[in-house]
Amino acid sequence: MKEKESWMDRLDKKRDEIDEKLAKKEINLPIEFIAGIVFLVLGLVVLLIMPSQVPVSDTDVVNGRVFPKLLMVVMMIFSGVLLLKELYNVYVKKRPWTTKTVNLLIEVKALEILAILLLTYVICRVTDLFVIGAIFCCLGFLVYFRCRKKSYYVITLTAAVLIWVAFRFGLNVSF
Amino acid sequence: MKKRILSAVLTLTMAVGLLTGCGGSKTASWTVTCPWAPSGVAAMVSQKAASMSTNYSENIILVADAIKGDAATVNTWVADTKADDTELVFAGEGLFSITSILDPAKLQFTYDDFVFVENLYSSVFVMSADASLNINGMSDLEAYLASADEISVAANGATSSEAFLAAALFGSMGYGEKLKITPYSSAAEAAQAVARGETSFAVSHQSQILETYQQGGVTIVCAFDGDDITDGEFSGVEGVGKYGYPYFRNRCFVLARSGTKAETVSELKKLYDDILADGEMASWLSDTMMLEVDTMSEQDVQDHIQNVQDIVNEYYDIVVN
Amino acid sequence: MLEFIGPALEHLFTLENFLWMNLGVFIGSVFAAVPGLTVILCVILFLPFTYKMTAIPGMMFLLGIYCAGGYGGSVSAILINTPGTPHAAATMMDGHPLSQKGRTKAALKIALYASTFGGVFSALMLLFLGPQVAEVAAQLGTAEYFMVCLFGLTIIAGVSGKSMIKGIIAACVGLLISCIGADPMTSYDRFTLGIPRLYLGLDLAICLIGLFALVEILAKAEKKPGPLILDAEKMHDNGKISKEEYKRLLRPTLLSSIIGVMVGIIPGTGASEASWFSYDRAKAMSKHKEEFGHGSVEGIAAAEAANNAVTGATLIPLLTMGIPGDGTVAIMLSALMINGLNPGLSLFTTQGDIMYAIMIGLIFVNLFMLLQGSFLTKLFAKVVSIPQEILTPIIVLFCFAGAYSVNKNYFDVGVALIFAIIAWLLRKLEMPAVPILLGMVLGNMTETNFRRALLISNGNPAIFVSSIYCIIFIVLTVLAVATLIRSKMKEAKAGIKK
Repeated sequence: MKEKESWMDRLDKKRDEIDEKLAKKEINLPIEFIAGIVFLVLGLVVLLIMPSQVPVSDTDVVNGRVFPKLLMVVMMIFSGVLLLKELYNVYVKKRPWTTKTVNLLIEVKALEILAILLLTYVICRVTDLFVIGAIFCCLGFLVYFRCRKKSYYVITLTAAVLIWVAFRFGLNVSF
Repeated sequence: MKKRILSAVLTLTMAVGLLTGCGGSKTASWTVTCPWAPSGVAAMVSQKAASMSTNYSENIILVADAIKGDAATVNTWVADTKADDTELVFAGEGLFSITSILDPAKLQFTYDDFVFVENLYSSVFVMSADASLNINGMSDLEAYLASADEISVAANGATSSEAFLAAALFGSMGYGEKLKITPYSSAAEAAQAVARGETSFAVSHQSQILETYQQGGVTIVCAFDGDDITDGEFSGVEGVGKYGYPYFRNRCFVLARSGTKAETVSELKKLYDDILADGEMASWLSDTMMLEVDTMSEQDVQDHIQNVQDIVNEYYDIVVN
Repeated sequence: MLEFIGPALEHLFTLENFLWMNLGVFIGSVFAAVPGLTVILCVILFLPFTYKMTAIPGMMFLLGIYCAGGYGGSVSAILINTPGTPHAAATMMDGHPLSQKGRTKAALKIALYASTFGGVFSALMLLFLGPQVAEVAAQLGTAEYFMVCLFGLTIIAGVSGKSMIKGIIAACVGLLISCIGADPMTSYDRFTLGIPRLYLGLDLAICLIGLFALVEILAKAEKKPGPLILDAEKMHDNGKISKEEYKRLLRPTLLSSIIGVMVGIIPGTGASEASWFSYDRAKAMSKHKEEFGHGSVEGIAAAEAANNAVTGATLIPLLTMGIPGDGTVAIMLSALMINGLNPGLSLFTTQGDIMYAIMIGLIFVNLFMLLQGSFLTKLFAKVVSIPQEILTPIIVLFCFAGAYSVNKNYFDVGVALIFAIIAWLLRKLEMPAVPILLGMVLGNMTETNFRRALLISNGNPAIFVSSIYCIIFIVLTVLAVATLIRSKMKEAKAGIKK
């Protein structure tokens, strides 16, 4: 047990060092500008792929492209408004960019969580046994949260198995 | 502490092991997947049959499941099952005769991927008309069509059996070019649309138009069958077949995965036949659902699929264009 | 109506239904009491359980969660000055000060009684108004329905957060997502990218798991897991409410219940608006204005009665026209539809026994909330102290199992994960997620009615102004948008002044 603790200690220490460095790194994102561009491009892409993705018949009064086309036009108009409003504020009214501060530590942590979720998904899919993925997921999060309490491990692992049992035998979901 | 954790894990493992080992008994649960709405005719019949399965078999328990999705559900079913799996699925002329011609890429299966078990029922579609038009039979219909500029028909789905029946009738009467099929998301919506006068006609199962008919919103014009309807509320409604117009009934086949042992299939067929022979089931089908018990042979199934395919090929242009 | 009451009671009075009601109320209370866990998240997590149930127990369970969510938020608002749900913020204004005066139990009791009154009042309104609204709704044709959908889309303005422009963009994304799969009018595939599983479209429940539940897990990166302790020991007072206080509670409770119902019927407005508006009214009408903000019993009652009075009322447009009043009931729509219950008049006629059972059941849900609240509040306070380390993986597993069980395949779990990533990125851009949900819910209905109306009129758009109902809904839409824009502008001005 002692060995395990020291292994966790070493891991935590390393994480602390990395965290400390990352915590200081921040990026200011001009979110209104980015949002405007992203959705303008998205609208354009959807409009471009529409002919290959939405087959229509010549005789349709209102074919299957009309509604999504209308939506994309509305989306592009409002994206344009968002973009122009921001540019007007910055260049005409001389206001600062509307920004959001993104902390690198938080993003890396989010990626760690995403990695746990993706690995859980892959394990479930490959083994076709939800319970294996569930056990990995619990262990992954407990390590992520730097949990040392053994009781928490027992509780979460039991809960993981019970959730599988409830769905497998209670709801007849075979996975 | 270590011991306590170990014993807890062991107990849990044993409990799970016991639970997973529970499948050793002789009784097998057969899941019957219906790829249409849980409130639809097929799902309700499947549910009823499943509830009666324990009365007739000690070895087979039928469990009804409904996953709306039509071809996509059957695609998944085919991909996820193999011979001798205790899984059954519903399919009908919609998949084998309509989608297979209109959109074959959508089907990742052919009839050969299945083995036929039984057909549970057949349903005679009827055509209703906006009550204000006062069309009560084929002669009224012919008179109306002669002066109509446009024939609008509400159907549950743009390329459904209902849409093709309307196309077949009006096409064979010579009014195919005037026909406008307005698709609705459900039979109930189509019934309400014709009652409101949004369309002139609607094609639907008898049970689906009954309430609107009883409220006086619609009249019944004809039945898509060879003979007149003889039972129930719509008794006396003329069948289009006697005028020489094309028609088909709606049928739903229960299918197992191909390669499933012949004796298992015949055991399943016998179970369904026993259930369908039950007086309670037969009267529920005719009185509540306005359907007929219709057991079929493999040849009957092939004939039905071919008949509908012929109609679809002939009236394809009216429906699709 | 009367012909359905007998069979409805027969359907309703089963042990199974009452067990599910109570389980729903318990779970809803716990989720709402924990700040950060929302009622919408709770409904999403437990929705897959209802897929195996029939309509009545399934809806009783979800309504139990929904109603108890209205009350549960007040527990943490009163005990730790943090509202468990956004709409409990108004309760906090007086709930916590009253608790600090040593009257924690009394504050909780007032919140519970007012919530129950508001909930029962709302359920009765649903029972009596629902069928009448459905009668009117049955007269609506395709063009009118499109106008109803447009009116429903004004919800977006109310749930857009800070920026209405971003709300509209997000709604367009939601509406576009609803276009994926077979075209409802022609059955041609749209935007399936050659992926066969997409023929069916994207299942709402699966997308929601990603958009609202899994994204919260990613958001754990932003917080350090600290123990959340709702100190049940604070509840040491006798909880007595004097006769004079009861008298004072009567008027604001009744008035707030009426306000809650009116607000709830209008799509796009929700419990938060109702509770703040009622709180404001109660203050204006009170003889003890000075107590507001310092532990006014009237303030607590007004806020709580209003936010629970919204619950039944939001079901009126949902059950009669398929227009969800807020995000949570939008999810309930899929629980109804999976059981083949399509909103509209037929729900009140052909399936009247089931519908009346659900509506009467809502009254019982509120009564069970009163019972559980009376006896289990201490337990709620303890349960909500479950550490994040334990809660987080359990929520993830519920999400995965829930997403899988909808269509029994891992593809859907993958879809949920993709939606979680999208939602995370949208958060970075401060794009609201609720308009996406509303777009997805209303998309199919809006498009099919739009296209069908034009098909009926042979492409003539005049059909959209062809009836009195169309014109009524156009006026309502314009009024709703104008009012919402005005209130947003006021908010913005107030923000600048601050």
